[in-house]
Amino acid sequence: AQGANVAFGGLKVDSSLPVEIESDQLDVDQATGVAVFTGNVLVGQGELRLSAATVRVEYDAEGKAISKLHASGGVTLANATEAAESSEAVYTIASGSVVMTGNVLLTQGESAITGQRLVIDVNAGTGTMEGRVQTVFVPAKKPAKQP
Amino acid sequence: MALSRHDNLHSRLVGWLKVLLPLLALVILSTLFMVSRKIDPQDAIPYAEVDVADRIREPRMTEPAYAGVTEDGASLTVTADAARPDASGKGGTAQTLRAELDTPDGAHTSIVAQNGTFDDTARQMRLNGGVQITTSTGYLMTTEALVSELDRTEVTSAGPVAGTGPLGVLSAGQMRITATEGVSGSYVLVFKNRVKLIYRPPEPPPNDK
Repeated sequence: AQGANVAFGGLKVDSSLPVEIESDQLDVDQATGVAVFTGNVLVGQGELRLSAATVRVEYDAEGKAISKLHASGGVTLANATEAAESSEAVYTIASGSVVMTGNVLLTQGESAITGQRLVIDVNAGTGTMEGRVQTVFVPAKKPAKQP
Repeated sequence: MALSRHDNLHSRLVGWLKVLLPLLALVILSTLFMVSRKIDPQDAIPYAEVDVADRIREPRMTEPAYAGVTEDGASLTVTADAARPDASGKGGTAQTLRAELDTPDGAHTSIVAQNGTFDDTARQMRLNGGVQITTSTGYLMTTEALVSELDRTEVTSAGPVAGTGPLGVLSAGQMRITATEGVSGSYVLVFKNRVKLIYRPPEPPPNDK
């Protein structure tokens, strides 16, 4: 599917920075160790902020590190200038890729892009929006004539 | 040939010694019985009265152990250094407790506390004075005090907890180990009231792959 390439300069973050997760509640299943954060969960890494209703942690093979964060229940990914909203998102920490699905709305300054699926690579700061992409952008005003 | 006369000094000396030495032996042997100390079987074994008086004044159990199975089948064993029944006889206090909780889903939780009180009427055990909780899912948390039900699996921290988990440094307003609602036989460790976790991703492998 063709998609709109989106520059994500603002969302560039080093995905090896420590991740801070804050929430109202954390449930850990005693047998399997699966951890689910619920209640306005806020995930912070460097400049990046991801907030969601629920974040489920997926471990890697040997269970010592986080491989993926599954956020659901209305996700907002934001930094200083840009914000992206969708119903679900999966953040793979090792590769630094965030896949947002479910009527995604991306706002950059005044311009806004909507679509069904947004794949962001936070390390490179690039992203592609796919599926019924519609975009509204305000052309930059002509700079006033300098004297 | 008659016995030759012992005329030289050596033979005379040996002759006398042959007589004197056995006599001396006899004398020594006899002192063994006459001079020895008298063993008086009636003499009681001396021991200190202090401990006994102390024990009578306040009855105390050393190395007490409590073992029980909760309604949902989790086994709870508590051992301590010392325990005293309280006046009402409805429970007691104990020092340096170690509690082991084995839930049917195979998880294991061990709790170490400075002291604790048992309340038989409420079927509860309250641990305080600094409690450390280690779970088989890799969580090592410390808190000030903790309440554990004795008849069902419900361990709740009385205040905020802090510590580390498999994901990193973790702190929360409250921690509870309880059976998952609706699913019998499975247990959940719940952190409540503002959970904060700091996870440090492992060093990215040198990307020469």
